[in-house]
Amino acid sequence: MDNSLVKKFRNQIQLQLMTLPGILFLAIFSYIPMAGILIAFKDYNIGSGFFGSSWAGLKYFRDMFSDPMFMQSAGNTLILSLYNIVIGFPIPIILALILNEIPGRNLKKIIQTSAYLPYFISFVIVASMWITFLDPKGFVNDFLMMTGIIHEPIEFWTEPKYYRMLSTLVNVWKSAGYNAIIYLAAIAGINQEMYEAAYVDGAGRMRRIFNITLPNMSGVISIMFILGIGGLVRGSLDTSVLLGSPFNSSVSYVVEYYTLDMGLNLGRYSFATAVSLFQSVLSLILVFGTNWLTGKINGNKII
Amino acid sequence: MNKLKMTKEDLVVNTIAIVLGLFVLIITLYPFYLCLLRSFNEGQDAATGNLFFLPRKFTLMNYYIVLSDNALIRSFAVTILRTVIGTLSGLFFTSMVSYGLSKKNLLFRKGYSYMALITMYFSGGLIPGYLLLRNLHLLNNFLVYIIPGLFSYYYALLIIAFYRELPDEIEESAKIDGAGDFYIFVRIIFPLSKPVLATIALFLGVNHWNDWFTSAYYISDQKLWTMPTILMRVLSGVEGLNKINEMKGSVSGMNMGTLNSSSSVTLESIRYATLVVTVLPIILVYPFLQKYFVKGMLVGSIKA
Repeated sequence: MDNSLVKKFRNQIQLQLMTLPGILFLAIFSYIPMAGILIAFKDYNIGSGFFGSSWAGLKYFRDMFSDPMFMQSAGNTLILSLYNIVIGFPIPIILALILNEIPGRNLKKIIQTSAYLPYFISFVIVASMWITFLDPKGFVNDFLMMTGIIHEPIEFWTEPKYYRMLSTLVNVWKSAGYNAIIYLAAIAGINQEMYEAAYVDGAGRMRRIFNITLPNMSGVISIMFILGIGGLVRGSLDTSVLLGSPFNSSVSYVVEYYTLDMGLNLGRYSFATAVSLFQSVLSLILVFGTNWLTGKINGNKII
Repeated sequence: MNKLKMTKEDLVVNTIAIVLGLFVLIITLYPFYLCLLRSFNEGQDAATGNLFFLPRKFTLMNYYIVLSDNALIRSFAVTILRTVIGTLSGLFFTSMVSYGLSKKNLLFRKGYSYMALITMYFSGGLIPGYLLLRNLHLLNNFLVYIIPGLFSYYYALLIIAFYRELPDEIEESAKIDGAGDFYIFVRIIFPLSKPVLATIALFLGVNHWNDWFTSAYYISDQKLWTMPTILMRVLSGVEGLNKINEMKGSVSGMNMGTLNSSSSVTLESIRYATLVVTVLPIILVYPFLQKYFVKGMLVGSIKA
């Protein structure tokens, strides 16, 4: 047929043989599961398999909305994500600004390097550290009692009212340093002449931060915000499983955990797939929606 | 910018920045120090409170108990094995595929790249992924730690960007000498790309070391569990208590002399020693690897 194509292919057979295993890998580990999403519309069970199971239409999506547990986990996910955005989003930006203003390279470097460290520690360890610290007998209560701020130990983890704030702060502790890197890079890319010109014109440090540094970061900030909004309907399985407990499940149980329980623990595969499909679609709509909105407002788009 | 004169404002901003910076430093590092401190102190003594800076009743008992727990030691070995094999195989596989994809004259390159790009944005999610592993008989199998992590297009993009920067002359002269593509990759390109490989090795290694999900949900044989999963058990409430009594029991069973001192151990003190033992490897390699990770992060964010 196309002899030159065959010949060309044969000439680079080694290159092709190096690339094709990767393509095959993606076909198996990414594309088969993507097709597997169809079981959300089927009555899937392990015995009859994918092709043997009959179609169920939208049955599982209807079931989902009539399950109070789902509605609760969806509400929790949304609230926890709002906490994460309102508190967790600005902190890395502020951290980057602080780091940038620290005089002396060495001090800055030491602080920066330490701030990344928790990102590399497993969430299992981070969670158990903070669970132990905030235990009624842990060091935080110990410290607060010693300084006389409180007289009775606080049940930080068993009282649901503290959970939202605490889990957000644990997440901030773990990843704020890491998330600051991208803002530090944006700051490093700002043209130094702008600062010099502003300095000559008599702008002080604070003016330079607010009129040069921050405006020049706005592009990156918008991008991170768009991505963050997409995460609004996504909860953190790590946080929910590792910081949550029966005492605070009324506020800590998120959709990911619900999917895990329904799917892997109860074997309701089709139902669980329907839940996570619904969630992914919602997340995509949010990303595109915010993308469109920020595009309208300040011309920053990522897609 | 050269400072001609420090204004009052400069001084204030500098001071605030340094104070806040030191606050960040303490908030980040003190929790680790506290674990270290309390792991070396007798548990019952620590429970009386007021222990913040230096050990009061020094002991190695907590470590003695933690390190004589066979399940923990085995999980430690499994985790090391998994991290080393997973990182090396993922590194080699990803960079080999990337080498092919980095060649502009590769037939069907566009098709391959689009196919890979889609996987960065869409995935089948938890359940279809689980069913696939089940059908491939990877559940309850050590290979479930290795095979699904062999390739990621995100890392491939970083490597491809690096390969494109390499001068063409190196390969051309090897080609003239009659070397094939695979030989060139293994003997010349792979060794030359140490900087980018170090970055990716760090990410892969950390992911392997920290992953708790795979063994908690895909492995039922406890002998194959990795350390984070065992830790979840040791560190969680009731189960942790049973586990610790079991640990203490096995120690006092071995040696009657340690019976007394092991009774001063508490759930807390054992937890702290366990935390130190598991965090230590990361802290030890971190200073050597962190510069690669910042570099990799930046390349990644520019691409994205």
